[in-house]
Amino acid sequence: MTKPLPDWLDPERWIALSQCVDKAAIHAAILSENPAERELALMLSPGAGEFLELMARRAQAITRRHFGRTISLYTPLYLSNFCNGGCLYCGIAADRRAKRAVLDEAQLRHEMEAIKKMHLEELVLLTGERMPEADLPYLRECIAIAAEYIHNVNIEVFPMEEQEYRQLADAGCTGVTLYQETYDQAAYERLHRWGDKRDFFKRLDAPDRALRGGLRTIGIGALLGLSDPRFDILCVYRHAKHLLKNYWQAGVSISFPRIRPQMGGFQPDHPVDEKMLAQFIFALKICLPETPLVLSTRESPRVRDGMAGLGISKMSVASKTTVGGYSEDTEESTEQFEISDERGIPEFCAMLRSKGLEPVFKNWDATYRDPAHYAANR
Amino acid sequence: MDDPLVIGGHAFGSRLFLGTGKFASTRTMVEAVKASRTELVTVALRRFNREQAEDDLFGPLSELKNVRLMPNTSGAMNAREAIRAAMLGRELSKSPFVKLEIHPNPHHLLPDPIETYEAAIELARQGFLVLPYIPADPVLAKRLEDVGCSAVMPLGAAIGTGKGLATAEMIKIIVRDTNVPVIVDAGLRSPSDAACALEMGCSAVLVNSAIAAAEQPAAMAAAFKTGVEAGRAARLAGLMPTSEIAQASSPLTSFLSAND
Repeated sequence: MTKPLPDWLDPERWIALSQCVDKAAIHAAILSENPAERELALMLSPGAGEFLELMARRAQAITRRHFGRTISLYTPLYLSNFCNGGCLYCGIAADRRAKRAVLDEAQLRHEMEAIKKMHLEELVLLTGERMPEADLPYLRECIAIAAEYIHNVNIEVFPMEEQEYRQLADAGCTGVTLYQETYDQAAYERLHRWGDKRDFFKRLDAPDRALRGGLRTIGIGALLGLSDPRFDILCVYRHAKHLLKNYWQAGVSISFPRIRPQMGGFQPDHPVDEKMLAQFIFALKICLPETPLVLSTRESPRVRDGMAGLGISKMSVASKTTVGGYSEDTEESTEQFEISDERGIPEFCAMLRSKGLEPVFKNWDATYRDPAHYAANR
Repeated sequence: MDDPLVIGGHAFGSRLFLGTGKFASTRTMVEAVKASRTELVTVALRRFNREQAEDDLFGPLSELKNVRLMPNTSGAMNAREAIRAAMLGRELSKSPFVKLEIHPNPHHLLPDPIETYEAAIELARQGFLVLPYIPADPVLAKRLEDVGCSAVMPLGAAIGTGKGLATAEMIKIIVRDTNVPVIVDAGLRSPSDAACALEMGCSAVLVNSAIAAAEQPAAMAAAFKTGVEAGRAARLAGLMPTSEIAQASSPLTSFLSAND
């Protein structure tokens, strides 16, 4: 059962433009002084593919103005891969024969010591769906422990209620990443076969709840390939605008996770190739100059090296998608998805420096953590 | 030192101040600082990193001779956070200066006048030399002067936009009405923007993006140095007044007699 998307999200008015072939209109959109939905749709169109170089140049200039010649670095840490979810595309879904694990306190401290040794100061803690092994009290403890070691602790877990998010903020959590996966409700229903995650709107409104609950930053995105990517990117843009307008003190960032066809694995209905991915990133950068755009180690070294600074100003590095994985005493577990860029930090940073980009490990200080600040927003 | 700029009892020979973020490497940043001949640079507390020498901006800057450090509170979203950041910055840098910046919106980074005012009162009370980054608001500038700020730093345009002196008319009023030095901070793109600010009577400019995002940062830093010097020299030399109409060689009013 689908119900209409809210007005602030529905991209229906512009979706036809994302198939436009009028080159003059596309060219004008790329150079527009005040690009919004209309221009974005035109820049997402297949016809805009032939203006990729122009879009790249504009995206690079904007990135440089607002973020300088720097790339912020972070890494993910999986706390648990226990999951009762039914996501068709996921390596740790409940019906996958996955080796399950969850970090206990001693293991988490070992991981944090290892991560601290890598000089990282920004971390995303991940779990699967809400499970007895990894529930709210567990998360709260993990956040408090992680915050003893590094400045910037974020989570990428299941959607929660506002008062639950507030507990995490009070424990020292800075931000939340939560992808809608796809904004296409029919595809969403088909891909999420059972469990709490089937509730499209509960997930859609979770970023609002997180920001009302006192988190400072929110990361959104669509898993590109699950549905018409042009529809999804238009929705991501409108979702970001909604959050920026309603939570004016929140930092909003956008990621571009892409599902690629794999041997024997999940086959996306709408595969997004490298050129499309780059085009979408440039288009969003042109429309959202001040918003950090993020690229993870799902992408190959070639694509990551090329995209650094071309719209992208934040990247994960040295990522593991198994539970733990940074310290030496990690147990074996199944990874959520395959990493394409396995380079370590020294190698990745050397690449950035060779491109005239400075890796930034620390760009936030825990000094700024002030729970009372959010009282006014509550 | 000819024509020094004095802020809180400290004299500066250069009227160009630099921000230190956004550079491709610490080396490029240090080269730009040197080429600019600046004597005051600001560095974000959130970029102080004692854990990782390569990421830390503070270490290399503190080694430069004749360059004072001014920690800034960038990243703070309210007065309480800014005050904590300022105290930590003072402890780390031993500098009496603080660039007070509070931008609750992490996207446009425009300053919060209310929180800035509240933090300025407390920091000035605690003996800091407070240089607040503010909207180009002449009333706010006076209020901050009244509570003991050592200078005011109105924005020319939003950070990183390079839109130049978009707030020129307000800045002129601030310069006319304020007793503390006025330093244009944010928005400048070119050395001519900097020259304009000094010609208008601003005491100095603070530049970051325009240098860090230039093709050749050190060369652009040197160009800004020249621009600032030219603007200041022009201010001191006395610009001729502008006029809407040409000065007629045959006066229109010569027929009027003084003793009719």
